[in-house]
Amino acid sequence: MAKEMMLSGCASSAQAAKMAKVEVISSYPIRPYTAIMMELSKMVANGELDAEFVHGEGEHGQLSIVLGAAAAGARALTGSSGVGVTYAFENYSPIAGGRIPLQMMIADRALDPPGDFGSEHTDAMSCRDQGWLMGWAETPQEAFDNCLINYRVGEDHRVLLPQFVCQDGYFVSHIPGPVSLPEQSQVDEFLPPYNLPHPLDPKRPVSHGPQIRPDQGTIMDIQRAQAMLDAPAVIREAIDDYNRIFGRKYAPFVEEYMTDDAEIAFFLMGAHTMTARHAVRHLRAKGVKIGLVKLRFVRPWPTEEVAQALSKFKAVGVVETSTSYGGAMRGGNLLHEVRASLYELPQRPLTTSFMAGLGGEMVSLEDFYHMTEVLSKAVREGKTKKTVYWVGFEAED
Amino acid sequence: MFKIPKGKEVPLGCVTPAPVGEQPMMITGNWREFRPLLEPEKCDLCMNCIVFCPDACFQLDDAEEKVVLNEKYCKGCNICINECAPGALTAAYELDFDDGVVRLDKPF
Repeated sequence: MAKEMMLSGCASSAQAAKMAKVEVISSYPIRPYTAIMMELSKMVANGELDAEFVHGEGEHGQLSIVLGAAAAGARALTGSSGVGVTYAFENYSPIAGGRIPLQMMIADRALDPPGDFGSEHTDAMSCRDQGWLMGWAETPQEAFDNCLINYRVGEDHRVLLPQFVCQDGYFVSHIPGPVSLPEQSQVDEFLPPYNLPHPLDPKRPVSHGPQIRPDQGTIMDIQRAQAMLDAPAVIREAIDDYNRIFGRKYAPFVEEYMTDDAEIAFFLMGAHTMTARHAVRHLRAKGVKIGLVKLRFVRPWPTEEVAQALSKFKAVGVVETSTSYGGAMRGGNLLHEVRASLYELPQRPLTTSFMAGLGGEMVSLEDFYHMTEVLSKAVREGKTKKTVYWVGFEAED
Repeated sequence: MFKIPKGKEVPLGCVTPAPVGEQPMMITGNWREFRPLLEPEKCDLCMNCIVFCPDACFQLDDAEEKVVLNEKYCKGCNICINECAPGALTAAYELDFDDGVVRLDKPF
């Protein structure tokens, strides 16, 4: 029988890693993700989890440790936050290029300047194009589930890619929510043992990470591109199995909430989706035709699913929780991809983006009501005035 | 989806059999502009070239009592020339050789 508990995102992630039977864990402290490692180190010390717990001398070392472990055939886990994520950056491409499907849990933290510690997606989003799977959790339950789903997809021989499993710092990582912990037998049914097709093995010696020539580099890039193209079908299979075995109702890529007959919608991912749901519910009670679409995977980006979900609205507000300074939209990252996804449609919704939840600021119900007014006005006037609104900081809307 | 031309295939993740004395997939000698030339009569087998070559291109032939250069992997850094105690190594411009490898379409 599944057991219901109140757990923070960090605690639920540690429980998921334990049930995934991770074999090597590498750690280096930085808040807020560090609570995952606090939980796991207790489990190892108490004998609940049979894993090697290795301390890196920094995040770069952390990633090198799990790369070696996973290359040698161990299911490996690491994690970080904020500047820790960027300190390890050099290792992300070789891990994906070497097709080593280890997992990194990220609890978001704003990048410095100087010394912020609140949640902002920019840390992980800066690493999104290295060939890792990537997606956000809205709740501690989803953080638990995403750990298992990502191991299953990443380790599938049709994919073989590492995974960034992300959750908002504090909003998800430190606020307890209800988590249904399954039976170990359910996890074992869903997640087969780790089986790397090309492990480091003294009986069958191989070289990993050799020097290659420039003309071989393109082909390595093609291998990664192909894996990303093959991943969506594997994700769909895994989500179907997950929903069946664990009784969940996940959509693989985009989840819709109150979108029937909606004219306007929010598009977002992660913790602030929960506040947005309540805002949508309250606005619906007042007769506003609004819904929301939640993104579950940033990589691979679900181009067709996004286009299909958003095509039925008159206006879409993309709530950005990351920065892309000097980018085409002058704001965040998501609107670039949303607009690219919609480009081929014969009839596109109006789109604009809202910079909110930066530096760890909460996005309040009032903020969502304000965004709704901007979107409603755009529908009335048939155009958006700006591509980006820094919520609460615009001289005029 | 993709079509990889014949002969251009790279194994998944570039995982290659090991150990091997030479890695035929990863030949780097065509990066070279200068080739180290050894004058055997000047060589006193100090073996500095073997120690200092970053790509392990020099090897000692025990039977013949001489050092041998593997040109397939020499990138032409000239460190061996700098370190050669008796001055038995000199730099020669690669295009002065009929079989010069640099800037040829198909070096090997």
